[in-house]
Amino acid sequence: MSQVQPRAADDAYLLATKGLSKYYGGLCALDQVSLGVKHGEILALVGDNGAGKSTLIKALSGALQPDRGEVLMEGEPILLKTPRDATERGIEAVHQSLGLVDELDVPQNVFLGRELTRSFLGIRQLDKAEMRRRTRSLLENFSIGLPTLNEPVRRLSGGQRQTIAISRLLLSEPRLLIMDEPMAALGVDEGQRVLDLVKRMRDSGLTILLISHNLEHVFMVADRIAVLKNGRLVGTVPVAEATREGVIGMITFGTA
Amino acid sequence: MAISTVPDGRGPKTIGGADRKFRFEGLGLTLVMIALIAVFAAINPRFATLSNMLTVLTQASTYVIIAMGMTFVITKGGIDLSVGSILGLVTCIFFGFVDGGMNPALALVIMFALSIGIGVVNGLIIAFLAVPALIATLGAMVTLRGVALLHSEGELYYGLPESILWLGQGEILAIPVPILVAALFVALSAWLFNNTRFGVHVRAVGGNREAARLSGIRVNLIEVAVYAFIGFSVGLGGLLWITRIDGTQATLGTGMEIHIIAAVIIGGTSLFGGRGTIYGSLLGALLLTMLNNALVIAGVEFFWQLVAVGLIVVAAVTVNNIREDRIGWLSRLRGRRAAARKT
Repeated sequence: MSQVQPRAADDAYLLATKGLSKYYGGLCALDQVSLGVKHGEILALVGDNGAGKSTLIKALSGALQPDRGEVLMEGEPILLKTPRDATERGIEAVHQSLGLVDELDVPQNVFLGRELTRSFLGIRQLDKAEMRRRTRSLLENFSIGLPTLNEPVRRLSGGQRQTIAISRLLLSEPRLLIMDEPMAALGVDEGQRVLDLVKRMRDSGLTILLISHNLEHVFMVADRIAVLKNGRLVGTVPVAEATREGVIGMITFGTA
Repeated sequence: MAISTVPDGRGPKTIGGADRKFRFEGLGLTLVMIALIAVFAAINPRFATLSNMLTVLTQASTYVIIAMGMTFVITKGGIDLSVGSILGLVTCIFFGFVDGGMNPALALVIMFALSIGIGVVNGLIIAFLAVPALIATLGAMVTLRGVALLHSEGELYYGLPESILWLGQGEILAIPVPILVAALFVALSAWLFNNTRFGVHVRAVGGNREAARLSGIRVNLIEVAVYAFIGFSVGLGGLLWITRIDGTQATLGTGMEIHIIAAVIIGGTSLFGGRGTIYGSLLGALLLTMLNNALVIAGVEFFWQLVAVGLIVVAAVTVNNIREDRIGWLSRLRGRRAAARKT
């Protein structure tokens, strides 16, 4: 099994980290992680609970600031102080908690933080009709039924909520999509549909960083697999050269 | 980027098909309101006269206006106990300036700047010092009342110029000006709440603060903005009150926070944040004022009104909790009943 050592300065990577570290008090959650996502690939990030996956993607999406190290976009160092900074650079993340507001309806959730407005007598107000129309056309791309759009999303099923969370990211036409356990809360059928969707998104040119516990899913969709353990990067392997046993070994024993 | 995500022929077209075109969420409360008016009128015909209705609406104007501000604050997941004290303080300062010979227009500008400024300070303390809203505004409530008492030294202010008294006592086409001002403010609030980014962001921050933050909403800005808004509404509501009665004192507005919060909660705004209704708050404020008025007409002692309002607040929260299924034992009971019916 060959191990690809990412060279962070290489602009073959859309997004890369160089020596990224994060401490929670005295606890080291990320220990000098240097990792890159190549243009147009699906990179799967795997590792046990507490391996640092969530911390890493939070740092990449501007949800928290690393204590040391840098994030590079196409070789240029960038500063991601807030989620907005990341969004503006085309990095979008679906967090495990989905980031939906239960009390808001579907279009309000899809357009949260980037509501469309129109001017009426020189005063800006929400363009509800347009948001509703675009939400419908966005959701029609998914094989999921959603009879009501203007009810609070707390009344929807796990799959429907996941779909809304993902469709919301596609709205801004991102360059990099970060997905944290998108299949975790779904039934077999719904999970399969999300996997199909992930692949189709890659095929249409999107770069995807996928976090998953499920190695079966990872082997079905990913191009490369990166393994974290105890906050350190164990290694990165192309799926074509990887075996399940090898990856499990990396996850469990931290050896490539 | 066009992402083709439709697996062949699997995209159902049932999205949004079952949405109701027209929704009226305050129906229940509206019916309660109509029923109460009927009951009060039946007990005492004087209640239902046009002149008494206009009196009720005029009396309600201050509460209605401040309830608008409180709707934003509570929907955001906050609370403001300091409204009465802000009102007492800024009206005394306004009166003091006018009595001292200041141009009333300038005094007005200062009063509004002060009431908004106090709201901003409340918001900053809550957002940046992480003091819970309940404590921050409880502190402000006591502090500002103290400042008002210090400032006025027990003085009773009265005697505003006619030009300003028009705001509280004038009429346009036989409709008292306070009613018109309140109606305009309700319309503005409803528009802000339902039709602007600000309104959606207030609900988002109240419903799921972390999600709001991750989607790029400036959470702290919203926090400060809602307290600034309620500050403005206190200034406006206070202005209508003191011009209606032509007077103020440092204790004006004492205990009003409970009435305002009651109005908002009766209306259906959730104390847990995320869900609010402008129409409900309007009805809630009108309902309380009506009750007040009916009790006065019936000759019931004022202290009973306190008893009534206190009980109504607790009852209203309980009703909301039942509706939102927040009561653990009741929820389990319902579940068991449903299961029993199936078998």
